Amino acid sequence: MITPEMLEGPQKATWCTGCGNFGILAALNKAVIELNEPLHNLVISSGIGCSGKIPHYIGGINSFHTLHGRPIPVATGIHLANTKLKVIVHTGDGDCLGEGLGHFVHAARRNVNLAVFIHNNGVNGLTKGQFSPAAPRGYISNTSPPPPGAPMEPVNATAQAIIAGATFVARGFSGDQKGLIDLMVQAILHEGFAVVEILQPCVTWNRQLTWKFYNEHTYTLQDSDHDEGDKMKALQKAMENGDRYPIGVFYRAAAPHLASGLALPEKEALKDHITDLKDVQKIIDDLII
Amino acid sequence: MDISFNIGGAAGQGIDTIGDLLTEVFVQTGFYTFTIKDFESRIRGGYNFTQIRVSDKPVYASVDHVDVIIALTRDAVVNQRHRLTEGGVIIFDETIEFDDLEACHFPAPLEKTAKEVGGNVKMMNAAALGAILSVINFPFDVVESALNSIFGRKGKSIVEGNVNVARAMYDFTKEHFTGTCKYNLETLKSGPCKDKLLLTGNRALALGAIAANLKWISAYPMSPSTSVFVEIMSYANQLKIGAIQTEDEIAALNMAIGASYAGARSMVSTSGGGFALMVEAVGLAAMAEIPIVIYNAQRPGPSTGLPTRTEQADMFFMAFSSQGEFPRIMLAPKDPTEAFDVATRAFNLAEKFQIPVMILGDQYLADSVLNVPRIDVSSVKRDRGKLAKPEDTSEYKRYLLTEDGISPRAFPGAAGKTIVSAGNVHREDGHITEDPVNRNLMVQKFMNKIPSIMSSLNPPQLYGDESAETTLLTWGSTWGAVYEAMNILSKKGVSINHLHFCDIYPLRTEKLRQVFSKAKQVISIEQNVTSQFSSLVRMETGLDVTMHVNKYDGRPMTANWIIEKLKEAGIA
Repeated sequence: MITPEMLEGPQKATWCTGCGNFGILAALNKAVIELNEPLHNLVISSGIGCSGKIPHYIGGINSFHTLHGRPIPVATGIHLANTKLKVIVHTGDGDCLGEGLGHFVHAARRNVNLAVFIHNNGVNGLTKGQFSPAAPRGYISNTSPPPPGAPMEPVNATAQAIIAGATFVARGFSGDQKGLIDLMVQAILHEGFAVVEILQPCVTWNRQLTWKFYNEHTYTLQDSDHDEGDKMKALQKAMENGDRYPIGVFYRAAAPHLASGLALPEKEALKDHITDLKDVQKIIDDLII
Repeated sequence: MDISFNIGGAAGQGIDTIGDLLTEVFVQTGFYTFTIKDFESRIRGGYNFTQIRVSDKPVYASVDHVDVIIALTRDAVVNQRHRLTEGGVIIFDETIEFDDLEACHFPAPLEKTAKEVGGNVKMMNAAALGAILSVINFPFDVVESALNSIFGRKGKSIVEGNVNVARAMYDFTKEHFTGTCKYNLETLKSGPCKDKLLLTGNRALALGAIAANLKWISAYPMSPSTSVFVEIMSYANQLKIGAIQTEDEIAALNMAIGASYAGARSMVSTSGGGFALMVEAVGLAAMAEIPIVIYNAQRPGPSTGLPTRTEQADMFFMAFSSQGEFPRIMLAPKDPTEAFDVATRAFNLAEKFQIPVMILGDQYLADSVLNVPRIDVSSVKRDRGKLAKPEDTSEYKRYLLTEDGISPRAFPGAAGKTIVSAGNVHREDGHITEDPVNRNLMVQKFMNKIPSIMSSLNPPQLYGDESAETTLLTWGSTWGAVYEAMNILSKKGVSINHLHFCDIYPLRTEKLRQVFSKAKQVISIEQNVTSQFSSLVRMETGLDVTMHVNKYDGRPMTANWIIEKLKEAGIA
């Protein structure tokens, strides 16, 4: 039984008051309690940015606060070295959809068994509000002055995930705790590459994507008779972004995940497997002509 | 006896196969061989060659001259002509027409014989072999038994076909070859060499890695490193090794770091351009104290440079790669046997000190083939360094401050232990902080490792007369050519010795200082233009070499070339 006390943060959060990350952290705490997996079997890999600090605000869980854009490759290595672990990636839109977009796409097509939570606030917050890869066209910042503001379309994380081959694709909202906890639990339990794009306001920099905006412009997919098994429908829903953002599970499929295609030991974790030197000697001796 | 064979032609014509066959015959019959592959960055066509040096005494490098050429294209006849020794022979297929046949030319019906006698044009390899060996009067019964053993695994009809083709061509050559070859091995039975393990530097590194219990390798293909990854991949199923070709070198190193964090011995293999992409993650491994082995098979740069050629110009780039200051180890094996040993040591050193360990090879080491004594793996030690005790119930701190700077490792999945790592400056428990006192403690933690790193590294080797007047200073794969040059000159009465480094960084300086104090002149010989290693020596000791010999055309050094350079400078 996991208690909230066990998860108490080793450090006090440095996020701004009212930050959307608090909702994500609260949901993660509750998801971990609901999962009831022994804590030592959980690992969080995070990138750089406000999202990347989450490992320091939840206690008792293994973590690796990595580089900008790289938490997915690091998590892939952790998972394959020990497939008994449940590996969760916390990344931001700047982290995952900019520097890390290549890794994201390739991890999705490999269907690596990871749960990837993208904290999407449409802004590079920690570096003081520059436009992120997910900022809307026209977004005004110190690196995208008007006119015209950010002169390009945002990356659509959910659509990217579906196209790239992720086998569980969902979108949550930091303000919808119940829904987000449920999506996190499903993503962690899913066998394969599971993505949850989490909409969150940046209360300091982003005047457009606010709590009020998301409360008014989101709706729940599962209320609208959506078929999670239909990839084209899922993509259609993912492309709907604009006036209204669907929330919930877009797509779900069962497919072999990467670990099943590598030469991993059957019983023990790769990290515990020991190559018998007799086998190596035989390989060498067979090379002798 | 010391013969040099050159097999030249276009990519895709089977030069490698003839070369391998010739090498195998000589290894089977007890000779020392050294084979280099000279090829262009293309899949088909062009002009490539394999050059095989065969001797009844140990050989350590390739040579410039050629005694027997087998040419599959006109280019291959013409391009090597100037390197052919007096009394040498060029064998080529009769379909290549020359208006002015020279005395050294021997047009032979290689293709025709393969088709007519063997019924298969592929047996042209055996025909070529027959012609080569006939020219030097190598006894056919010795060839036959070698062919039997080489082709034995492919079945009786293949053996017979190849033996028949080789014999037909052998006999034809006996009858029709009117020139003379300076080598006549008629009375030869077998050579003295018992070494029958054929290794390239890359294969030796791969074998060393699997012996060291490598469990994870991620890589992106890049010449001349690729064969390490491919070789390890070929054993992955049998030995259970996680191996994946990644989207780029950034992912390769980050994945390997993840796997190592989780407890698997991990490595990446690449060349300089790929390492450039890994540089960011080298710093992550350093800051988070994740053991990792990085192999760089160097090629000439900058940028794409010469993809299939050799150079030693990434030393400084690796020594100072990634922002900030942190300990690392760099090892540069001199030959395949040492490459095996270096690979096994690299993993132990990486885990003992929880740092990046870099292996510097180059195309010459990576692709050259020589026959070496059987490697006995029973002496391989696997030392995983300091590990936390599972039964220890005190709060686990991944970066616990200790006297030697090394904290016991534990891996995710260990009940009762939370493993927290970060690329940010962190506290003992792994959580991040900007506190200045902690920053100093953590920087000192890195530096505290250095004394024991130093004492774990091997000192350089001094070859030749301890008290010689001239010292040749080298590191890595140039060892062989320089060692041969030193021996040749010593025999001629020149007072010369050879100081060689495998463990190059951090630099051990005791022996260096001794040698510098004794020698009248120290000559650095490097496969780069700026003498990087001698700069490192000056940086660490204030000692200057007296002369620099540099080669940077992408082609390997030879003893002759080095002796010429020394002569030009009035030495030797």
